[in-house]
Order: sequence, then C-alpha cells, then structure tokens
Amino acid sequence: MLDLDAVSSGYGETQVLYGLSLKAQQGRVLAVLGRNGAGKSTTLKTIMGLLPRRGGSITFEGRPIAARPFDIAQSGIAYVPETRDIFPSLTVRENLEIAARRFGGKGADWTLDRVVDLFPRLGERMRNGGAELSGGEQQMLAIARGLLMNPRLLILDEPTEGLAPIIVKLIHDKLMELKQAGLSMVLVEQNFGFATSLADDVVVVSKGQVVWSGSPAAIRADEAVQHRWLGV
Amino acid sequence: MFRHTPLRHAVLAILALAALMQAFTAGYFGLEILIEILILCMLVLALDLVAGFGGMVSLCHGALMGVGAYAFAALATLAGLDPWLAALAAVALTAAVAWVIGAICARSHGIYFIMATLAFGQMAYSYVFESPLFGGDDGMGGIDRFDLTAIGIDLNDSRTFALFCLAVLGAVYLFATAILRSGLGRSLTGVMHNEKRMKALGLNTWRIKADVFGLSGIIAGIAGVLAAQHIMFISPGLLNWTVSGEALVVVILGGLGTLVGPLVGAVAFVVMKHQLGEVTTYWHLVVGIVLIAVVMSRANGIFGWAEARWGARLDRRLADATRSPTPEEVTSDA
Repeated sequence: MLDLDAVSSGYGETQVLYGLSLKAQQGRVLAVLGRNGAGKSTTLKTIMGLLPRRGGSITFEGRPIAARPFDIAQSGIAYVPETRDIFPSLTVRENLEIAARRFGGKGADWTLDRVVDLFPRLGERMRNGGAELSGGEQQMLAIARGLLMNPRLLILDEPTEGLAPIIVKLIHDKLMELKQAGLSMVLVEQNFGFATSLADDVVVVSKGQVVWSGSPAAIRADEAVQHRWLGV
Repeated sequence: MFRHTPLRHAVLAILALAALMQAFTAGYFGLEILIEILILCMLVLALDLVAGFGGMVSLCHGALMGVGAYAFAALATLAGLDPWLAALAAVALTAAVAWVIGAICARSHGIYFIMATLAFGQMAYSYVFESPLFGGDDGMGGIDRFDLTAIGIDLNDSRTFALFCLAVLGAVYLFATAILRSGLGRSLTGVMHNEKRMKALGLNTWRIKADVFGLSGIIAGIAGVLAAQHIMFISPGLLNWTVSGEALVVVILGGLGTLVGPLVGAVAFVVMKHQLGEVTTYWHLVVGIVLIAVVMSRANGIFGWAEARWGARLDRRLADATRSPTPEEVTSDA
C-alpha cells in the first residue's frame, strides 16, 4: 500500500534518514520501533511531505506520492502527529469539523457521530476549547480528527506518549477496533508492549535505516534484538 | 475563531451608542472626526481579519484602500460611470488586487510576508504618484458622493453622511464576523496556529490565505470608496505605506485578533490625534508613548487588557445570572 524505497531526508543540513526502505500493507498495522533520534518521526514527516525528500522514492497504492502535504492528505493518508496539534482557540467540535472530508472516496463513512461513538468522552467535551483538554482527550481528538478525513491509511506518531496507563489502554483498545475494521495503519511507538500487541508487522529503525523487520512474535521472542536496537 | 463575549457585546453597544450620539449632536468638525473614525474602523477591521486571525501582517492595506478610492474616483469622474456601479467595480477590483497580492505573498512568512506586502503597496503608491491619468501628485478632485436624494437622503450633508458611514461600518462588521465564523474563518484560525498541521489535514493553506486576503480587500475597497467620497478629493498619500503602518498601530493599540479592539483603537487613535494635535504638534510622540506602554504591558492592546481584566468575570456573572450551563467557554481568540 505504502512503499518507501531508499528514502533520504532530514532537517536543514542534518541528514536523518539514510536510504530507509519499508512497506506498509493493505489492511495491516505496521509498527515502526527504534530509539529516540533513530528517525521514526522523520520518516512519517517525510511521508507526509512535511520534510523535503532528498533521495529515494515513495509510492502510495502503486503511484508516486504527491509532493504537497495537502495533496498527500487528499490522496487518503491521515497523519496524527506526536504533538497532537489541537487548535487551542477552536472548540472540540470545530477541531473535528475542520478535518471532516471524504478523501478516502467510496465507503468512507466516518462522521462526527461515529467518532463520538468511538470516543464518547469527546461528545461530552464538544463545546470545550481545544486548550482545555487533558493530554488523553487531546490524543482522542487528534485520532478522531484523523479518522474524519476518512483516510485509507492512518499514520500515528507516538499516540501513547505522556499518557496515563488507563488512557493508553483505552487508546490501544480503540486502535484495535479500527484494525479489526480493516483500517491500514503505520504506528510509530516507544511503548514496546503497546506496539507489538497491535502490529501485524514490525520494523526497527536505527540511524535512519531499517535494521530489523519481522513479526511482533519474533521480536518479542528475540531479546538480543530488543536489547541491541531498542534498549528494552 | 471569533466569538462574541458579553464584554464584546457591551463594548460594541457602547461604541454604537457613542457614534449615534456624536452623529446627532456634533457640529461640523465633530462630524468630520466621526467620519474619519468610521472609515478608519473599516480599514482596521480589514487588517485585523488578515493580521489578527490569519497571522498575515500586511503593510499594504492602506494601498488597498487607495486602490478602492482611486478606482472609484477614476470610474465615476473620468469614465462617468454611475457612482453605485463605480463603487461596485472599485470594490471588486480592490478585492481582486488583494487576492493576487495575498496569493503571491502567502508563500512567505513573518518578516518576509510583511516586506512583500510593503513592496506591493509601494508599487501601487509609486504608480499613482507618477501617473498623469490619475493626476499624479496633484491627486484627483470633483468626486461626488452617492446620490440618495430619490429616497430623501442627502449625503452631502455631513450628519447624513456620518450616519451612512456608520450603517456601512455595521454591515462591514457583520461581514467580517460572518467570514470568521464560516468554515473558511475556522480554517484561517487553523492556519495561523499551525500551517503545517492544516496542510497535513489536507487543506490547501495557500488558497485559504489568498481567499481571506481577497475578502479583506473587499472591506478595504469599501473604506476606500467612502474615503474618496468623504473628502471628495484623493491624493497619492492615501496609498503611502504610512497609512498601512498607522492602521497596524491602531490594530495593535486596540487589540489584535479581537475585531472589537481595533474599533476601540481607531477611536482612541483619532481622538488622541485631534485632541493632542490642538495642544502640541508633537502628538505623535504621545501616541508613540501610549503604544509602547500598551506593548510593554504585554496585554493584547487596550481591549485585550480589558478582556483579561473583566472579560472572564463578566462571563461568569452572566452565566450565574442566567444559569445557562455553558462551561468554560473560550474567551480569547488571539
């Protein structure tokens, strides 16, 4: 579905990705693991066109990915950033409405009502300002906003960062629901247990390259890999 | 995103009442000041729309107003068009020019955006200044006001013209709030907070900025048409960047991104200018000191300061009084 082939990218003069290649497959969840600074978030930003690609190629559903971020989003990829980026002066409802589109084409049926069904907490907070939400609520809102774009691929950057265990569990269950409904996802995570229990495929990134790939079961069994690349 | 709060409603009501009282009681000079304030109010609303809600600090809004004024004057006096038609065409032209400027400048940010708008403004200024068609540095005279005598209204009377401008300002204010409350306005708020995020949400942010700049141009164009009719004479000075700079001062003095604040700022600025102008030729010094005080106080202008001080309390008191459960509404937009 999403194919990165020898992608190089970085910030200004600092190169972060050195020929990174990975594949995300239709209807599956790909977890991207790695230590801080390995290039996980950079990979996602490069996919979204938020960082200029310096080399390699990215294809989405067989076609070269668009150049401009909003064209990429319109082609059916929703990105939930690590920073969540809730608009503070818009209400929860407005934050959701701003994203409500049908980029995914036919069969795209996420509506305001459905995301509220998924995250009832948001329904209670509909009239609150974006600045008044807790971290967990912000994360729910960020995911809901991504879903409302009706994407075919959802990419999430550290959805559990800084959240209480009970909220992490809730986010996990909701993402599992989405996975079972057939949504394709790319998940960048530091939380090893969280990521490997959701994922169908795992890649480990270090110094801007994929250094290991395999199944969640394989990496859970392989302590040497965990120790070497993740410091778990 | 723009929201009305009790404090905003209250200040709007006070301003409207004060304007009406002034319109009905003031003599000729008082009416001239009132009209000057009303037209400046339109210009600063146009500027607040892009600067306060879109983060696009423009130094060409004076020039846009000038484009409206010159287009109206040229079409009405040189081409002999019906004044209403000329006004409509002038506003449309100003909006188109603003859209193009917005579309080109929207790719730059911060200081570069400011400089790009300044360059456009100064280009317009230089052109008008040198152009024999538009009277060059002599300007253009003989501009007529709208003819409403058919319905018994004589705009050549200062009082009537002031009331007319007040009505137009009211309409312009509603227009501005309507833009901000629309999907476009919400998107603009998003762009100001985080343009990258908006792009990642699939929105063409360049188009949003250009569209709002164009809509802001409609308001600047209306201000220009009325400015031309007010003095019945226009000169290139109208397009000079100092006019844009002054408008920016007014917006910041009043409260960026509040719509109501710039109106307060316009009143404060013009009143200071005339009252202090009578006492000293150095009135700019005083305005400068006031502006520095406002900026150093770290409040968002005069109105922002009032909002921080009383806005929340007034909200709570009204919420208690009416017992309507509106928990923790956002009170500040900027």
